[in-house]
Amino acid sequence: MENIVFGIGITALTGALATVAGSAEDTESNIGSQGDPNSQVQLAPQMGFLHRIFNKAVAGEPPAYGLWCALGAGLAWAFMAMQVNAILAIVLGCILAVFVQGVYATTAYLGRTASLAKFGQPVYVDIIKSMTTVTMAHAFIAIFCTVALCQLINGALGHPFPLPLLALIWGIALGAAGSATGNPYYGKERQYQNQKFGAGVPISASGNIVRYAEAGERNSIDNGFFTHKIGGSASGICFGLIVFLEIWRTILFERIYAGWGAIAVGVLMILVFTVIDRYIEVWARKNYGPYTAAKEADA
Amino acid sequence: MSVKIEVIAGGVPHDKIMIAGLVSTLVCIYLTYLNAFTNTQMFSFFGGLAVVAALIWGSHTIKVLCSYGIGTGVPSAGMIAFGSGTIAMLLATKYGMLAPIVALVLAAVIGLILGYVSNNILNMKIPAMIQALTEMAVVGALTVMGFAAMITGGFTFTGLTTSTATFLGFPITSYANSFLGGGLIAVAFLLGAIAIQHPFNACLGPGWKQDRMLMLTAECGFLSMIVAAVMSFAFISAGAALISLIVAIIGWLYTYGQFFAMSKRDAAAWLDSKPIPDTEGH
Repeated sequence: MENIVFGIGITALTGALATVAGSAEDTESNIGSQGDPNSQVQLAPQMGFLHRIFNKAVAGEPPAYGLWCALGAGLAWAFMAMQVNAILAIVLGCILAVFVQGVYATTAYLGRTASLAKFGQPVYVDIIKSMTTVTMAHAFIAIFCTVALCQLINGALGHPFPLPLLALIWGIALGAAGSATGNPYYGKERQYQNQKFGAGVPISASGNIVRYAEAGERNSIDNGFFTHKIGGSASGICFGLIVFLEIWRTILFERIYAGWGAIAVGVLMILVFTVIDRYIEVWARKNYGPYTAAKEADA
Repeated sequence: MSVKIEVIAGGVPHDKIMIAGLVSTLVCIYLTYLNAFTNTQMFSFFGGLAVVAALIWGSHTIKVLCSYGIGTGVPSAGMIAFGSGTIAMLLATKYGMLAPIVALVLAAVIGLILGYVSNNILNMKIPAMIQALTEMAVVGALTVMGFAAMITGGFTFTGLTTSTATFLGFPITSYANSFLGGGLIAVAFLLGAIAIQHPFNACLGPGWKQDRMLMLTAECGFLSMIVAAVMSFAFISAGAALISLIVAIIGWLYTYGQFFAMSKRDAAAWLDSKPIPDTEGH
């Protein structure tokens, strides 16, 4: 019983850490225009829409976060092997991982923009200076929380995988959660505020992203500020739920039928979520979808 | 049938880069074997240099492959390179001193099979596919081997799976604290997989230049070498790890500076806190 109570406590803690990580991850990737919104930022100058938006496509978010988290964990693991205190080791590992992330971000922006020289897109040095540091700060929060939750899973719950491998798996999951949940809010809404709500991205509007802000020209910190409100929080809840439910079902049900209990509960949860998702999708289409727009316009 | 949308205009031909990359990678990996002859760990940094050489070759292979309109497949090319390469590398470490050669051959066979499957069974029909996947599997295998040699000081299976720790003054053999058991191979996998795809992914576009991309590859390689050197402090003597770290930092500073200079050379304009330039029609 004590084991289970301890396990549930750790589960709650990892869930909380994962929520913070998801939120920071989505904001970081939106400030860097990573993931699917990137294609439009990349396309805009080719259609004649020069902009001042940061464009750091290192890779898709899942592989990129797989690297940052695995790297942070690998370095933390190495520091711990050198008898450094675990908390200090994780902080040092994450600082070095964030350094790598920042360098990758600057080279991605410079490389992409220099290759667009034909279309007159200039390199803005002030963007490199101001945006990279903001993404690095958010990336640090995301990486630190992920590595810390992996250390809890490994150290407190006794997971057999070594820390870097756990961080690789959860890093990829973190990137996937942020990419799937948070990105549409930036790529479909924020970039296309000049289009009809819910219209998607018609071919004729390709590359015509919003480039001017309430005052002056829009930059990526404006985008991070905007998307953090809903996109970031949604990503946080998504990743937090994934981590929490995953560990919760393992802690509570793994003793039933030598582990099969946890697997059965996992399958059951997938079914429940599928029903919920389908219901929300149908409900949202009925209320906001473009298919009923003509009827609403009459009324 | 895919249509090739870009051609390599000027620059060093791919075959030359491939041969130079292969030879220098193998030479550098074998130079880490000086550790065993001299009974020190001072030559581990050659593993990092092997990584840089292999990555330069690999990123150019990705450029050749992805010129056939595989726009979104650039990061996945890095993943398949290292996925197929790591298997070959792990098996090859059983062969002692022959390991790099065995890794090369095994990886080439795996890559060849993967290329055949993609082109003839999945019907992708991309002309460069078979050769590119073969090359990338070899690059993946040799890069992970380079990282392993740099971090642990050797590339034998025993060296990668065991480590000696001191507990209460007695030396004990530990499997959990090794390159494989500690999961550091996962870090090496992703360090290489991101570093190999990033240069082309970052430099693609109408203004692509070969020298700028390859300089970026070298930069990514040295950057990976810096963090690998920090991790190597846990395995090899502090002096040897420090040599790796210093070599990596010097190489990184030089290549990063050069990449900035080349980007400045190729960019349309280099502005600081300036508004969006006026363009006709918008």
